[in-house]
Amino acid sequence: MKHHSAQREYWRSLAHLADTPAVRAAAEKEFASYEPEEMLAMPGLTRRRFMKLMSASMALAGMTLTGCRRWPQEKLAPYTSNPPNRTSGVPEQYATVMEINGVGSPLLVTSFDGRPIKIEGNPSHPYSQTVANRAGASDAIAQASILEIYDPDRSRAVINRAGATQVASDWDRLSNWMSATIDSLTTNQGQGLAILGESTSSLTTARLKAAVVKRFPKAAFFEYEPLSRDNEIAGAKLALGRPARQVAHLNKAMVLALLDADPLGTHPAHVHYAFEWASNRPNARRQMSRVYAIESAMTISGSVADCRLGVRPSRIGAILSALAARLGAGGMDVTLAPEEEAFIKHLLSDIADNRGKSLVLVGPQHGPALHALALAINEKIGAIGSTLTFVEEPDGDRASHFDSIADLTNKLKARQIDTLVILGGNPAYDSPADLDFASAMKSAATSIHLSLYDNETSHAALWHVPRAHFLEAWGDCRAWDGTVSICQPLIEPLYGGKTPDQVLAFLAEEPETQSDAIVRKTFAEMDDAAWRRALNEGLIANSGFKEVSGQVSFHAAELYPAVQGYEVRFLQDSKLYDGRFATSGWLQEIPDPLSKIVWDNAALISKKDADSLGVGIGDVLQITVGNSSVKIAAFVLPGQPAGVIGLALGYGRTLGEHIGSDVGVNTYALRSSGAMFFAPAQVSKTGDYYELATTQDHHLIDQLGIEMRQKEIGEKYKSAEVIHEMTFEEWKKVKGAPERTVPLQLYEPPQDEFSGAHAWGMSIDLSKCIGCHACVAACQAENNIPIVGKDQVLKNRQMHWIRIDRYFKGEADDPNPEVVFQPVACQHCENAPCEQVCPVGATVHDTEGLNVMVYNRCVGTRYCSNNCPYKVRRFNYLDWHSQDPRHDKYPKPYLNLPDQQQLETVPKVKQMMFNPEVTVRMRGVMEKCTFCIQRIHNTTISKRAQSEKLNDGDIMTACQQACPTQAIVFGDLRDGKSKVSRSHNDPRAYGLLDEALATQPRNKYLAKVSNPVEA
Amino acid sequence: MASVPTTEFARIAAGIEADNTTDDPRFRAPLVTGNKDFAAVTATVAGVAERPAPPKAWYVAMGVSLSLLGLLGAMIGYLFLTGVGVWGNNQPVGWGFGIVNFVFWVGIGHAGTLISAILYLFRQNWRTGINRMAEAMTIFAVCCAGLFPGIHVGRPWLAYWLFPIPNQMTLWPQFRSPLLWDVFAVGTYATVSLLFWYVGMIPDIATFRDRSKNRIKQVVYGLLALGWNGSSRHWHRYERAYLMLAALATPLVLSVHSVVSFDFAVSQIPGWHTTVFPPYFVAGAIFGGFAMVICLAVPARALFGLKDIITMRHMDNMAKITLATSMMVGYAYMTEFFVAAYSGNSHEAFTFHNRALGPYCWSWCMMTFCNVVAPQLLWSKKVRTNMLLLWIVAMFGNAGMWFERFEIIITSLTRDFLPSSWHAFWPTWVDLCTLAGSFGLFMTLFLLFCRYLPTVAIAEIKTVMPQAHAHAHELHGEDAKRTDYRPDEHMDPDRDAPRLKNR
Repeated sequence: MKHHSAQREYWRSLAHLADTPAVRAAAEKEFASYEPEEMLAMPGLTRRRFMKLMSASMALAGMTLTGCRRWPQEKLAPYTSNPPNRTSGVPEQYATVMEINGVGSPLLVTSFDGRPIKIEGNPSHPYSQTVANRAGASDAIAQASILEIYDPDRSRAVINRAGATQVASDWDRLSNWMSATIDSLTTNQGQGLAILGESTSSLTTARLKAAVVKRFPKAAFFEYEPLSRDNEIAGAKLALGRPARQVAHLNKAMVLALLDADPLGTHPAHVHYAFEWASNRPNARRQMSRVYAIESAMTISGSVADCRLGVRPSRIGAILSALAARLGAGGMDVTLAPEEEAFIKHLLSDIADNRGKSLVLVGPQHGPALHALALAINEKIGAIGSTLTFVEEPDGDRASHFDSIADLTNKLKARQIDTLVILGGNPAYDSPADLDFASAMKSAATSIHLSLYDNETSHAALWHVPRAHFLEAWGDCRAWDGTVSICQPLIEPLYGGKTPDQVLAFLAEEPETQSDAIVRKTFAEMDDAAWRRALNEGLIANSGFKEVSGQVSFHAAELYPAVQGYEVRFLQDSKLYDGRFATSGWLQEIPDPLSKIVWDNAALISKKDADSLGVGIGDVLQITVGNSSVKIAAFVLPGQPAGVIGLALGYGRTLGEHIGSDVGVNTYALRSSGAMFFAPAQVSKTGDYYELATTQDHHLIDQLGIEMRQKEIGEKYKSAEVIHEMTFEEWKKVKGAPERTVPLQLYEPPQDEFSGAHAWGMSIDLSKCIGCHACVAACQAENNIPIVGKDQVLKNRQMHWIRIDRYFKGEADDPNPEVVFQPVACQHCENAPCEQVCPVGATVHDTEGLNVMVYNRCVGTRYCSNNCPYKVRRFNYLDWHSQDPRHDKYPKPYLNLPDQQQLETVPKVKQMMFNPEVTVRMRGVMEKCTFCIQRIHNTTISKRAQSEKLNDGDIMTACQQACPTQAIVFGDLRDGKSKVSRSHNDPRAYGLLDEALATQPRNKYLAKVSNPVEA
Repeated sequence: MASVPTTEFARIAAGIEADNTTDDPRFRAPLVTGNKDFAAVTATVAGVAERPAPPKAWYVAMGVSLSLLGLLGAMIGYLFLTGVGVWGNNQPVGWGFGIVNFVFWVGIGHAGTLISAILYLFRQNWRTGINRMAEAMTIFAVCCAGLFPGIHVGRPWLAYWLFPIPNQMTLWPQFRSPLLWDVFAVGTYATVSLLFWYVGMIPDIATFRDRSKNRIKQVVYGLLALGWNGSSRHWHRYERAYLMLAALATPLVLSVHSVVSFDFAVSQIPGWHTTVFPPYFVAGAIFGGFAMVICLAVPARALFGLKDIITMRHMDNMAKITLATSMMVGYAYMTEFFVAAYSGNSHEAFTFHNRALGPYCWSWCMMTFCNVVAPQLLWSKKVRTNMLLLWIVAMFGNAGMWFERFEIIITSLTRDFLPSSWHAFWPTWVDLCTLAGSFGLFMTLFLLFCRYLPTVAIAEIKTVMPQAHAHAHELHGEDAKRTDYRPDEHMDPDRDAPRLKNR
């Protein structure tokens, strides 16, 4: 710096003024307070050391600071080179098939990064497609298979139980043992070898069975299914002279008479039947079918029937005989009770008006004679060839399932079996109680059980072998009509499990050991191109069973003796099937459609019986059939026929792993040969009380509540607020688009409020919803929704984003009340009450009309849930994903700290199940239906990227896709031609509570149209 | 004078604890009984803090309160670590005990502010005996109240997002939400009440400072007294500040609980969505608050020897206000029912049927009995002046107000529009312990206040004693020391002639 010694006027200090050389030197220093050279000259401090120290301190800061962060550390490792044919992060879909009771449900499975995460129906397969080649429906059980494959309780290792000790074994030891066994069996041509399997239509299994028989001519095959449909086959055999399978065509039936039949709920082809049934409710030509249901239980089909009568099981035979006689199909007429007479009078006149368009179906729990009688009736009314056709029944001449298991048990008790191989199933749990199969099994010198879980039968066997889940294995099976589908895996077997085919191949000493080779060999005559096409589409074209035709001959039905007193009716559980899905938490928590019970079964009784027994909901009854009795809580179910106690099968398992053990009461204990579907029973009150968890109407609703509910479900169209309904006659007259409610607002809404390119909306047709809960399961799978367990459902904290409300209409003791199902999910109100009250603005509206929930902003005041009139918002009261849902069985306080839980406490295998496109919510956060915003954005973004137009049906919400009747329609309201726009302009359309509250929901309901007989 | 004192005045002159509840228009009843002069008043009030040890009952009460406070801490810890699920809240009852307790405590506080501010503006001199205690009760009630919204949220470590603090997300809270209005209302209330209470206490704390022998006490009271020196300048500023704070606090009495009632009134649940809520809640709050003040004052005056300062007249007046507000609350109940029936809205009508006859009818009965029926006993002067009975009725009032909030919040949530969503609410042990614990917090703070801070507004109460009256300066000699002088004494020559002659 220059200094002007003479001209300086202002100075900073005396030293500065003095301007000595020392001062000048000091002023010229770059760093006033220290000498850099001095510092660097410090002993040991080289530049390198300096860098080391600096980086170490930064690392230290990094360590401690990351400790302060709330987010758990996750490691991301992108591929350096992509695996071929796959872009990571882009999901792929593969067709496969799931077999239950020998019938395949065609599926399309979404795979994300090499693991399956979501199941849909196969849109190309006639038995699951709802929109050809675009949408395929499924059911709750198929949706829950995703949970099953990733169930941490699945068996992972071979187990050997010699005597009382249990030893985890391995594949080598097993195969050595099996080889030794096979050698000894070969010497005596398989004498003493028995193979018990589940019902299967697999061509591969049939081929391998033949191969085993060739190798071991004296080996015996047995087949058992607890919910057998053999009565139908035997009935067809009686009527046609040969076993056959009945294929109904409900889309052609304008009059449908269901005599204890449940085609929409428990039939193996129920997804397809529901779709066909819905097409006439009403159809495009403004016609509507009329469904009559006479049943000994409260089923889904009966609930949506236009006319329903609840009767004792023994009456079905009488009613069928009367029908047959009066229609001229043969036999003697029978006098019926007055209400039965009144009922079939209308049925007869409707059938008379609808020749060739009527159909009579009988449920599989009734004997072959009744089925034959129904077929005779069907022939008389012109159903055969139009609404009902026959196809071959594969292996139709085999022994019936019940005979087969009885035969096997006898042979076991007679010590004629040395080696028992059980492929799947759980006969120790679900075989007829009088057989005592579990102890009979012990008579076999060696037994192997191939199973997904180490269950009751595995514990009674010598060897337990883990089975490969259908999503991780090759196989094949046939749909109800026989169309062959190949089951292809989405992932390698997680625990190295084997398929039944592999076991049979091993026994038959086939050269192929891998399941893909085994299946390919069955279809060796298909060339590779055809094979790949079959895999791609999920079916082999034109592979259905051959049609069978024949003259139906009449057989008189023996009438069951009338049962005085109570009788029990064993029911297929709507979620657990025969008990094999008791290990699935999702299925346990999905409510039964009619009773809404979760995590339990109950004795379903009518109000009349409840009053005479002096019991209410939860009072424990003792039910005795023959020499066995069980204690089970009662549930008063409106519509349950008087004198009949409904008992769902599949509960009370002792070895159902963590989820399925000690849930409900084992009603198989009452089920004996000869009375596998109904049985006379003694019922008495025990005086105990057992709390049943239901998702609706928990605690008896008092009279006041019942009255209020009646007001909500009105008699006439537009008089109620919750359910609108009308008769078919009224519907034909109704015209005009519904009015739009306009709420009074204090403020002008912003101009750009709904200015988005799309306006998403949904409609739900109450005429078509059958209450099957496929949508609930699909939503749970798609959106990573947790289960909460029975004790939390008792507090009504279940997390389902969509629920199906079930309302009964009529007096409390009405024996045949009307039932309405109403799926309720977020209505995405344009004038949303939830948005106005959130103090932090965690729920807002986007320009496309979606009410958007921002999880990371939510502090959890729950005001939005309070203000929502539909109560669709679900709050994470606890960390559900980390909590043990069996708190009722294993209570324990739970004190883990927030934020770290899910990654560390959810088992790694279960984490594979989560859909990576949907946030997994932590506790304290509100959540609700988002109209599957991840699907919306995926599709709109990819369409925009391709510059393609978005068409109606390109985006499907999970619930819409799963629904077999297509009751749920979703789409763009801006597109005037979209299905949803047409629904919204339908005169039947109304917004739930919209008139009262002017919430302007984007989800409209179409009033239920029923077709009752004019009185 | 007669040998047996017959007139009230005579009894006072004779030093018997008097019944100063009469309203003889000729004689304004004294507000400080027992022949106290200024020094005696100071000694009585300061004595509560200065005695070497508080009465044994204080220790017992403190022991119980501290245990309950500990229980509260444990419950809050458990709640934070595990989740709101430890309470009984469910779907549809998203708000349970947490919000019931919040509204309960915040309502209680209103009585204190009414006594301090509104009665000050109305120049009701009798307020001076109880205003300090009531205002303290308000502060502590607001503390308890403010606790609950903070802990009842699902993610309490983020509760600060309800405050409009500039942040990196550039997000403001959502101002249309009544919960956010609560933040401002309760926040303002806490701030203003605290200021008002503290500023009002300064001269009394200075008195404590001057009387303290203990060094620590001198320092602490000295700091708190902010250098008060008793000069007229300080007094002038004090009076001005007090007036302004009273004016600020007055609207809060009506607005805060109105805003809290908006939490419900602005929502659309039947039974909540009604415009009668703001006045209904305010009336209820004052009723509940006075009940709480009575409940605290009855034992406090007995325990700390404050019977001459918090006299029967004070208790009588408070009882009268309690009765009046109870009638207002009863009227509000009738209005609600009438409107529900008259509206023709089936949801609304059902809600009221449900409240009275449904599964929670027991709480409706509790509420109605405790809030409307039991306080009717206060028509009787015998009851109003019998401390035990008064205390019991006041306890009923407290319980009744808690049940009223329970009734309003819970029953409307359990059964609203869609019958499929109806579900009952039952509290868990954590709920009950948290409620009990909140009383522990309240009582701990109150007992500490009683022991360490001036329980009565010494400076203010002196202004309503006869010695403070201007005429007192005219008396000389013995007259100046007269303690039986009544401010508006009309000199009766016949009676007082001897004295007059002495002048």
